[in-house]
Amino acid sequence: MHVPLAVCALITFFPFWAMLAISVQPGRGIELPGSLLPRDISFAAFSDALGSDRIYRWAINSTVYALVSVVLVLLFASMAGYAFAKKRFLGKEFIFWLFVAMLMVPAHLTLIPLFILISEMGGLNTMWGLIVPTLANAQAMFLMRQFIQDIPDELIEAARIDGAGEFRLYWSIILPQTKPIMATLGTFVFLWHWNDFLWPLVSQRDPSNYVLTVGLNTLQTQETELATIMAAAVVTFIPTVLVFIGLQRFFVRGVMMSGLK
Amino acid sequence: MRSGTTTRRRGSRWWRSRAALAGYLFILPYVIFFLAFRIIPAAMGLLLSLADYSLAGKVSVVGLANFERLFGDSLFWNALKVTAYYTVLTIPLSVAVSLAMATLCDRTLRGMSIYRAIFFLPVVTSTVMSSIIWVWILRNDGPLNWLLGLVGLPSVNWLASETMVIPALAVVSAWKGFGYNMLILLAGMMAIPSEYYEAAQVDGAGWRRRYFHITLPLLRPALFFVLVLEIITSFQVFDTIYVMTGGGPVRASYSLTYMIYDQGFGYFDFGYASAAGVVLLVITLAASLLQRRLMNKGQAA
Repeated sequence: MHVPLAVCALITFFPFWAMLAISVQPGRGIELPGSLLPRDISFAAFSDALGSDRIYRWAINSTVYALVSVVLVLLFASMAGYAFAKKRFLGKEFIFWLFVAMLMVPAHLTLIPLFILISEMGGLNTMWGLIVPTLANAQAMFLMRQFIQDIPDELIEAARIDGAGEFRLYWSIILPQTKPIMATLGTFVFLWHWNDFLWPLVSQRDPSNYVLTVGLNTLQTQETELATIMAAAVVTFIPTVLVFIGLQRFFVRGVMMSGLK
Repeated sequence: MRSGTTTRRRGSRWWRSRAALAGYLFILPYVIFFLAFRIIPAAMGLLLSLADYSLAGKVSVVGLANFERLFGDSLFWNALKVTAYYTVLTIPLSVAVSLAMATLCDRTLRGMSIYRAIFFLPVVTSTVMSSIIWVWILRNDGPLNWLLGLVGLPSVNWLASETMVIPALAVVSAWKGFGYNMLILLAGMMAIPSEYYEAAQVDGAGWRRRYFHITLPLLRPALFFVLVLEIITSFQVFDTIYVMTGGGPVRASYSLTYMIYDQGFGYFDFGYASAAGVVLLVITLAASLLQRRLMNKGQAA
């Protein structure tokens, strides 16, 4: 049974292999199949890519965008998820289903209004303008609520009897219990932001504010040396692979759970 | 038996209790961002479709004029056709590949987690990055044509061919997304109790009968889920087209989403683009409603 699986794995992995192979053979014209089996490996394309100010900047932008967003999304989603899971207040059901209903709205419809809105707020070409529209993540909040619902009420009651205030309840009791879902969700949200293209494309006009995905696309037309383009692609690829390998089991579990629900 | 906070006193006005206040405060940041950056833009999108908004900022309400223009615009109908063609190709391909791969992975084997990881890798990587590599692969002098040449088939300039560009994009999308659907189907397969298979084996049923009479029928909910997911994502394809073909050649890959982007940020005709966006919304809603209807019918059966 290994044979068909291995063949499929090779086919699936081939594009990544091609990217890696080309990136370590700068200055060499494309010959097949020679180009796919690198002989003299050189990392010149990488030093070109990372030495280039703009690619370096793009990597920084992507990192800030992804990391800041993850922290804020998780914070807001867990706070809201906790409230929807454990608290009673007027209008709770209505507000919650309104959020879920908005999942139906395609991003392309809200794209132009968001652009106009952020533009009016002076947020175009700023990092905050990039981050802020992505913070109200309905799926994240939904998952948080599902998870927190399963936290036993007795735990909360016990802490409340001990005199814990509302915020303390959230911070010291609920949050530590959410570590597993935080890992899964954090991974998804990080990768979603790291790979995001459309909103960064539209909201950041200044090339020094590009994120890696947008910058990579402009390299396609501007850069003639294929190895450099591929090297920049590898730079986009590496963090993805690292995050993925490190947190793979959370991913797989998360996806399989979403199908069962 | 309700979960949630217990009220201190029966009959206390719970919506004024401290716990309820805390509830409002905790959802406040989320609600603010959601209102500001999802609900209001969605409403704006609907309103914009009824207006003419030039970049100079002058807004004038024009009622349904944008839609009239849209439905008389051959570019729009072409965009719908392109999107439909792409969807019709991508969905069977993607679902078939995911199902095949899930079947292949539904067994205990050493190193299975490594295989699954490789199959899932395209899903987690950036669409832009993958698309750039695929542009190279599909080049006239690229590895795909080289491979075809090896077995005596003619080369095709995939991304420059008006007829082959959409099939090529469908293949790229299938490669990109099959891992995700595969995992969902795999979860469905793993949920099937092994007693069913054992009983069938005792009855003398071979591999094929077990697959078609036990696995597939019990997989229907998961398959439905995957199907609808694919429909919705196919209609919203953008990144791949933008990076690989720019809507070409000669608008052969000018999808509805690409039209929205092009009209909005290429021609700065925000009202017109929003009208196209509303059409996309209606299509998406229709697909979701259809799914719900079919799912309920399936469950009642």
